Amino acid sequence: MDIKTKISIINQIPEIEKVCDSVSAFGEENGLSTKIIFAFHLALDEILTNIISYGYRDKDEHVIDINLSLQAGALALEILDDSVPFDPSEAPVPDINQPLEERKIGGLGIYLVKNLMDEVEYKSKDGINRLTLKKKF
Amino acid sequence: MEINSRKENGVTIVKIVGRLDAASAPDFSKQFTDLISQGEMTFVLDFSDLVYISSAGLRSILIVAQELRKKSGKLLIASLKDIVREVFEISGFIQLFEIFDTADQAIGQN
Repeated sequence: MDIKTKISIINQIPEIEKVCDSVSAFGEENGLSTKIIFAFHLALDEILTNIISYGYRDKDEHVIDINLSLQAGALALEILDDSVPFDPSEAPVPDINQPLEERKIGGLGIYLVKNLMDEVEYKSKDGINRLTLKKKF
Repeated sequence: MEINSRKENGVTIVKIVGRLDAASAPDFSKQFTDLISQGEMTFVLDFSDLVYISSAGLRSILIVAQELRKKSGKLLIASLKDIVREVFEISGFIQLFEIFDTADQAIGQN
């Protein structure tokens, strides 16, 4: 059976650290490698920062739910939020081969997440975004 | 994050201890702005104690490197941990910088 945990936060930047601490604790309890935990910290940091900074049209408090589940040979993470729909697969891909002088500053966050994870799946239904990330170990 | 800087053989070694992310990137940028305004031009960024880096951290490194390039300065990078190296590889930063196994090697190369 999968081992699961659920973390709920509100749309404030300092809450991201709380989620990362929970992921660390979950990782330690279940003997996950530093590499796996690092990848999920990075993914949560990038995605939650985007949602909280750019995803809401009002100034109200919103809840973001994060579900972690340890499956056979993989760790899966689900982020559920009611922000503006954003499909990471449609995010522009940065040109990583430009020389230093011409290298653009932005666009690396989502690109890192897509490359560090084995699966990234996005669905939007009834105003709720559901982003699923999975990494094998 | 903690930043320690020292000078050796005309090279300024900046060591980052902890995390380089959205929260610490402004401190990182300020430290470099101060050092560059004091006339420092050749830097080794020692990442032996860097435990985490996000896109905000990468952005702050890129901005410093572009600024130094304009002034004909130099930014070398040393001691990447495996997880940080992977982020550098994915983002293409590995091709943008001269990367050394240790800070001493980077200082010696200058």
